[in-house]
Amino acid sequence: MLGAGGGGDPRLSVLMAAWAVEQHDAPAVVSLDELPPDALVMPCGLIGAPAVAAERIVSGDEGAELRDAVEALLGTPVAAVMAYQLAGANGLVPVTWAARMGLPFADADGTGRAFPRLHQRAMHLAGLTAAPVVLSDGRGNSAVIRAADDAEADRLARATAQSLGGVCAGALYCMRAREAPHAAIGGSVTHACALGEAIARDSIEHELEAIGELGWTKLIAGKVLEVERQVGDGGLHGSVIVQARARGARRLLRLELQDEFLLAMEDGAVRAVVPDLIAVLAADTGAPVPAEALRRGQPVIVVASPAPPLWTSDAGLALGGPAAFGYDLEHTPIVQAAHAGA
Amino acid sequence: MPERDVRISIELGATNTDVVALDDRDYVLTKATLPLEREVGARIRGAIRAATAQAQPPAERVTHAMLGTTAEIDAVLARRAFGCVGVVRIGGPLTHAAPPLVGWPASLRQALSGGQAIVKGGADVDGRVQPLDEEAVLRFLTTVAGRVEGVAVTGVFSPVAPEQELAVAELARRELGADVHASLSHEIGSLGLLERENATILNAGLIGEAQRLATTFREALGAEGVDAERFFARNDGTVMAIEYARRFPALLVGSGPAGGIRAAAFLSGVGDGFVIDVGSAVATIGALVNGHPRESATDRALAGVPVNLRLPDVFTVPLHGDAAAVHARLAEAYARAQGTLAAPTVVAIGGAPGLVTDALAGICEVIRPVHADVANAIGSAIAPVSGRAERICSNRPRDRSRTLEEARAAAVERAVGAGAHPAGVEIVDVEEVPLSHMIDRAIRIRVTAVGPRS
Repeated sequence: MLGAGGGGDPRLSVLMAAWAVEQHDAPAVVSLDELPPDALVMPCGLIGAPAVAAERIVSGDEGAELRDAVEALLGTPVAAVMAYQLAGANGLVPVTWAARMGLPFADADGTGRAFPRLHQRAMHLAGLTAAPVVLSDGRGNSAVIRAADDAEADRLARATAQSLGGVCAGALYCMRAREAPHAAIGGSVTHACALGEAIARDSIEHELEAIGELGWTKLIAGKVLEVERQVGDGGLHGSVIVQARARGARRLLRLELQDEFLLAMEDGAVRAVVPDLIAVLAADTGAPVPAEALRRGQPVIVVASPAPPLWTSDAGLALGGPAAFGYDLEHTPIVQAAHAGA
Repeated sequence: MPERDVRISIELGATNTDVVALDDRDYVLTKATLPLEREVGARIRGAIRAATAQAQPPAERVTHAMLGTTAEIDAVLARRAFGCVGVVRIGGPLTHAAPPLVGWPASLRQALSGGQAIVKGGADVDGRVQPLDEEAVLRFLTTVAGRVEGVAVTGVFSPVAPEQELAVAELARRELGADVHASLSHEIGSLGLLERENATILNAGLIGEAQRLATTFREALGAEGVDAERFFARNDGTVMAIEYARRFPALLVGSGPAGGIRAAAFLSGVGDGFVIDVGSAVATIGALVNGHPRESATDRALAGVPVNLRLPDVFTVPLHGDAAAVHARLAEAYARAQGTLAAPTVVAIGGAPGLVTDALAGICEVIRPVHADVANAIGSAIAPVSGRAERICSNRPRDRSRTLEEARAAAVERAVGAGAHPAGVEIVDVEEVPLSHMIDRAIRIRVTAVGPRS
């Protein structure tokens, strides 16, 4: 859901996290304000190509390698692990690392959704610097990146990931606990667990009701009429049209996607747009459908949720709003369906 | 000397045995549906006799014999009657976060695994190879010697660099003897380490059953005086030579639905639509695209384990209850599958003639072609032979064209290995997919070749 159709397939990360928790203890989930003010928080995750990550599976010890490098650079022990992005495949890889290191897992993340660039983080908006970025390939090769600014850190980290096997482990935006509550999005893990429980409800009606209480709105329920996708430089691009029929009337909702679903339009008007989250649920199971798995004829329900408020500030919109993805649009709040049952 | 121009095809179903005999113009000479017998050999012999009885046509005319083994393989999966497998993964120090068989149902793990090891080695996406820890391989083989029927070998990025899997197979032959079969992941699945490894382990665990079926088939044909090329039905609706099937029995899974869909296209002339195969307990619904069964794109699983094999994209509808309830369920299933605006044609095959026509009356056109009752057997009788290969390379023009040539040659070689006639093999599909989030763009090339039976 938080991946908004992108963020990579989380199934392998779920398997790994479950295995790590079976072998070690589950990491304690800690709120950022419970940590001592000087405690060091290490945001981390995988950087690189998801298809490569499904083949070149992590060793599980990358977290410890990142921690050792960060501690050597900053001269302070790492007190907690944080997912730099809780959405998609990246949300649970740091759980594996935290379990294996016996470190707590921060109830926070840097995004509250999936974003393609490493500096599209709450920490960047708060004025923290991404560097030093530490990268490890899990095989003993690592790199430390110092950069002129966060956009350069993003570019260099992704280019280095290429040389570290196509995908690697990375730690960035390391911060003190006293800075973290203002820099990261607090409560992300709690929110994700609540969302997970909502999705697991016994029927689609109950699920919609439960996610409704968490801020999600139904945009349309219908069938996928058209899917157009191409893999361009960097990622997946395309559009999806969902058709609904109710009381003889025909409605069409168009979704634009660049890795994630970014824009939903109906009759030429914006229904929802990035940084707000748009997700597509399979109408039968209620499970979120990744953009690459959507198929013509599939019955779906499109839902949307407002992004964490920092993304709709002026600075937040400049970094992760419609213009950041090439859409010449103002951000507008999500428009609910005009009538129930639509 | 009589003419030799007849193919017979036998489908071992869950509740009966179907058999057909076709001549070289695909004309159906005989067909029969026989009740279930306890023993597979007796079922096959009974089917051969039914096909060649009353000398219509005589056994001497038979050149090819096809066997659909879906029910037998499904029974093995359900009973967990696998052979014991030693599992070797080449990829350390990576991949330890998700060891082999992680997430498997415990009963299945116990039924299959005779031990596992992750040894150092493996490749990178660009083909750079890490040294293989041969000593660790040998140590592992010592621990499983005498206890396993086969080994399953999976290397990180082996579809790019298969040499270490081949090296481990050689070591296994040396240490465990030639009787112990080695299933190598680069010959079985595509990218995605765990799914490919799972498919490879299941393949190794099915080898014994495939060999038993092959022997039973050969002996049954011999006993009935049939001297024919032997084929097994495969998961994409094609057939493969017995020798190939003995090495890749995972490809037997799902052959029934796939063959039925291909037969429905052949018998009805419908290229795109849906096929509903009515069995005794369930109806199986699958999609027909361009005359081929549509492959499942996501969530492919065998025995509850995710795999990246080509499986037909089908779902089932239970048939219990009164006629009205069954009709309602079939209509609902059609609405679910239909999707687009136009009502796609439905081809009804299998048992209960009239059931699908009645259930979907007024909803869409339902065709029930002649011989629909033995469609699965006909599917194997008319099917060609396929081969598929996958490669990964950088998107530089020279690299790409060289790799494309390699993949085409490998797909043709596999089709020939599976029993296609070398002169007739054609490349039918070339798929190039860029891997996203790679800065030096890499592409995955997948080639499918198809040819007539040799």
